[in-house]
Amino acid sequence: MVLKKGRFIIEDLENVQINIGNITGAKVEEEEDKKEEAHGPTIAPGIHGLRDWDRRLLSRYEPVYSPICDLCCYCTYGKCDLTGNKEGACGINMEAHQAREAMVRTITGASAHAGHGRHLLHYLIERFGADHPIDVGPSNIKAPNTQTVLGIRPETIGDFIPVLNYVEEQITQLIATAHAGQEGSALDFDSKALHAGMLDHVGMEVSDIIQISCLGFPKSDENAAFADIGMGLIDSDKPVLLVIGHNVAAVTYIIDYVEENDLVDKIEVVGLCCTAIDMTRYNISAKIVGSMAKQLKYIRSGIPDVIVVDEQCIRGDVLKEASKLHIPVIATNDKIMYNLPDRSNDDINSIMDDLVSGSQQGVLLFDFDKIGELAPELTLKMAPIRKEKGYTALPDDEEFKRLTSSCTQCGACVINCPQGLDIDVAMTAAAGGDLTLFEILHDKCIGCGRCEEDCPKGIPVLDVIEKAAQKVIREEKGKVRIGRGQIGDPEIREEGRNLVLGTTPGIVAIVGCPNYPDGSRDIYEIAEEMLKRSYIVVTSGCSAMDIGMFKDDDGKTLYERFGGRFSKGNLLNVGSCVSNAHITATTIKVASIFAGRNIDGNYEEIADYVLCRIGAVGLAWGAFSQKALSIGTGCNRMGIPVILGPHGPKYRRAYIGNPYDPEKWNILDARDGSSHLMEPAPEHLLISAETKDEALPMLAKLCFRPGDNSLGRMIKLTHYIELSEKYLGELPDDWHVYVRSEADLPLAKKEMLLKILEQEHGWEINWKKKKIIKGPFRRPDVSFQPTNVPGLCKGVSV
Amino acid sequence: MAQKTVDTTKRAVPFDRANVPGPKMAKPVKAELAGKLISKAKRPLLIVGTPGADTGIPEIIKTFNSNNIPVAATGSCLKALKQADVEATYVNLHALVSYLKDPKWKGFDGNGNYDTAIFVGHTYYYASQLMSTLKNFTTIKVISIDRHYHPNAQLSFGNLNDDDFRTALKIVAAQLEQNPS
Repeated sequence: MVLKKGRFIIEDLENVQINIGNITGAKVEEEEDKKEEAHGPTIAPGIHGLRDWDRRLLSRYEPVYSPICDLCCYCTYGKCDLTGNKEGACGINMEAHQAREAMVRTITGASAHAGHGRHLLHYLIERFGADHPIDVGPSNIKAPNTQTVLGIRPETIGDFIPVLNYVEEQITQLIATAHAGQEGSALDFDSKALHAGMLDHVGMEVSDIIQISCLGFPKSDENAAFADIGMGLIDSDKPVLLVIGHNVAAVTYIIDYVEENDLVDKIEVVGLCCTAIDMTRYNISAKIVGSMAKQLKYIRSGIPDVIVVDEQCIRGDVLKEASKLHIPVIATNDKIMYNLPDRSNDDINSIMDDLVSGSQQGVLLFDFDKIGELAPELTLKMAPIRKEKGYTALPDDEEFKRLTSSCTQCGACVINCPQGLDIDVAMTAAAGGDLTLFEILHDKCIGCGRCEEDCPKGIPVLDVIEKAAQKVIREEKGKVRIGRGQIGDPEIREEGRNLVLGTTPGIVAIVGCPNYPDGSRDIYEIAEEMLKRSYIVVTSGCSAMDIGMFKDDDGKTLYERFGGRFSKGNLLNVGSCVSNAHITATTIKVASIFAGRNIDGNYEEIADYVLCRIGAVGLAWGAFSQKALSIGTGCNRMGIPVILGPHGPKYRRAYIGNPYDPEKWNILDARDGSSHLMEPAPEHLLISAETKDEALPMLAKLCFRPGDNSLGRMIKLTHYIELSEKYLGELPDDWHVYVRSEADLPLAKKEMLLKILEQEHGWEINWKKKKIIKGPFRRPDVSFQPTNVPGLCKGVSV
Repeated sequence: MAQKTVDTTKRAVPFDRANVPGPKMAKPVKAELAGKLISKAKRPLLIVGTPGADTGIPEIIKTFNSNNIPVAATGSCLKALKQADVEATYVNLHALVSYLKDPKWKGFDGNGNYDTAIFVGHTYYYASQLMSTLKNFTTIKVISIDRHYHPNAQLSFGNLNDDDFRTALKIVAAQLEQNPS
């Protein structure tokens, strides 16, 4: 018997339980046994462990820096003016400084997820024991990112302890390089950012797997239930308890208390942001208000009677805003404490008295049992008091008229609006009784409140917008299929072949935050277009919520119209932010299950396989957070391109391919190590688009891979051409570079395209046989084994 | 009839209030001078963004065509430009600034990279952020003839109302017609 760290009970010995801490001998032996098995060359790589792979990526996809500030204010030598790539006092130039800035943000994002994971792991081990088994559904590969990066195959939640130890140690080493006088190379900062992105996917994976395993979340469930979403679905006549954040641990106690005390019909437990997604995975009776863009709007509505916050993407002014409306705030996680008193050791009744009376605006409470009881009971007490007083920040009709009429059209709100929305124009229309412009503006407004900061008349602009949009808000009622978790091995077995051959045109992962350039409807329309074209659309977090907010003419959301299986033309909500790890994990599983690649400690080979073979692309259309950057950067290191919305360049760097430079697009044939010129596929690794119409054909284009066969190429080309014609108004000017033979051409347009190839590109065509004789720089070869890694080629010594 | 005039150097402050990049910010430029400088550029490129498809603007952009200035249609403005008979090439703006900073890029016509980039009709924050790439990592002259002040350009109009903006564009077009390249 191999002893493992954890807890066990000896039969027939009542009330005897033995707890085992760290075992050195047995554990080491077990680990050694595992190491004996075949594994790749990079078990738990350090900062430089995958530097060669990063340099391969960065030589093709060159970093493009877009400084948001030309100064460096990092140390007391400065401020230094780096404009024009000048060097500052410490010797760092603009390029390296920008790379460092982007790296720091990537590390910040990775830390947020890893910190979340560590918090959950401590809690879940304490509650369920370290030997609680991992159960993610029907999968042998339970933790693909963990396995690929560390070579560890975790079986229990305790097995994740060394995994998070590794992530945390690497994050410490990485952030150390941001100190003045450390790294000086932009390229090496980018390699480090890619390392942080990879760590992020491990941290996220740990977080989601342990909560799936312990909290009864759906386990690779294609038929996961539907949850209600939208401000219009919340019964504001009932007491309303609002939770905001990402870490569901404390919230589960609230939900349990509500159920156990028959309060389900008496109280509305609603959530904002990823905590909302995860609480519906825990218990379907919970409701989702919406994405993080609704935070300030919903608080200002005055509907919540109590607010519980945990961590990540929570506004810094929640306590201030809530206090104005006598909404008590309970902070439950040390990431956000709002200078509140720690009442964890106090009696619930005394805390309740202080909050009800308003002598304390909020409390810090780390005891989950107390949170579970206090939050609902407090909500029941606060509701009648607050309803009687009629607390709301929204103006009444008379005040609304006064406010809109007092606007002087100075435009200060427009200039301070991150989206540059025409608030002044809508204000004039509203003063004249026309609310239409504000109703439209309501969805485009990200709810930040910057408009109010600069108004010389002190108009609470956001409240005016929300008051004007009440009719629209009442209709905000949608459905979201709750987070299903991982893609199971059987689904990969079924679909992997279609993906690699290209007969399923690609995976489009719509992820990230709600900082959309033109409202949330864009991502619904993008998802719908790609689903109709048989792409697999995967989504998570705020994007998953917003996709569920819109309906077709029959009143159905996309989740109700399209299935949840990992199969062409289906829509999968994997879950919250931390569930994004399942997207990279899916590509790893395809490499393992379909292609039989060894994934243990074999990151470079797997990422190379993904880059060459699997047409997956991410779309972070409203990315705003550091976490979104680290998620995207982790996808990039795994060989998955990502498109950002037009706010994306504010992250300061992108990875863009130059298709006109043939030196960038050489690839090796693993059969003999010979070098071949290939089409630019995928053309970019991280890039932005200005509009939805531009993003759609780009999504199709970034699904091309060097390994596509003729049938796959034809399908991908069909969509790329059709989407370009539909949204940009013409054939793309580079469609021909993806053609290797006449069999790659879309059937319906074959003759027309052959003519263009002959007349505009000088290709030689045999018109009798409708065959391409001469032209493509690469002919089809079904045995071609594309790779970017010399060490994976036969007969090549490295 | 005399050309209506407008002072495009007024209100030369970042349209997004916090968009203050550093000590080097665009000089406000009069429409007449912008037109002259564009007409004298050796390798100019007009870069149009999605809002550049707004009513009336493509008609003015046509002047650039007749002055042999190539037009890059970024975002999703190509359809509208083509409907107005503007000759333009679609390119993603983020990719374009990457190409512009690459000495190896031969431009759309194969004759070499460009020396002057003229911006018009853009989503403000998007163009501003990508102009910063050109400002910091290239020697390309960036002239913004857009509706709002762009600090990351070398020369820029101030913040204009819609009428003044259209008038300013007409003045630039008139200069191009008077000074054909």
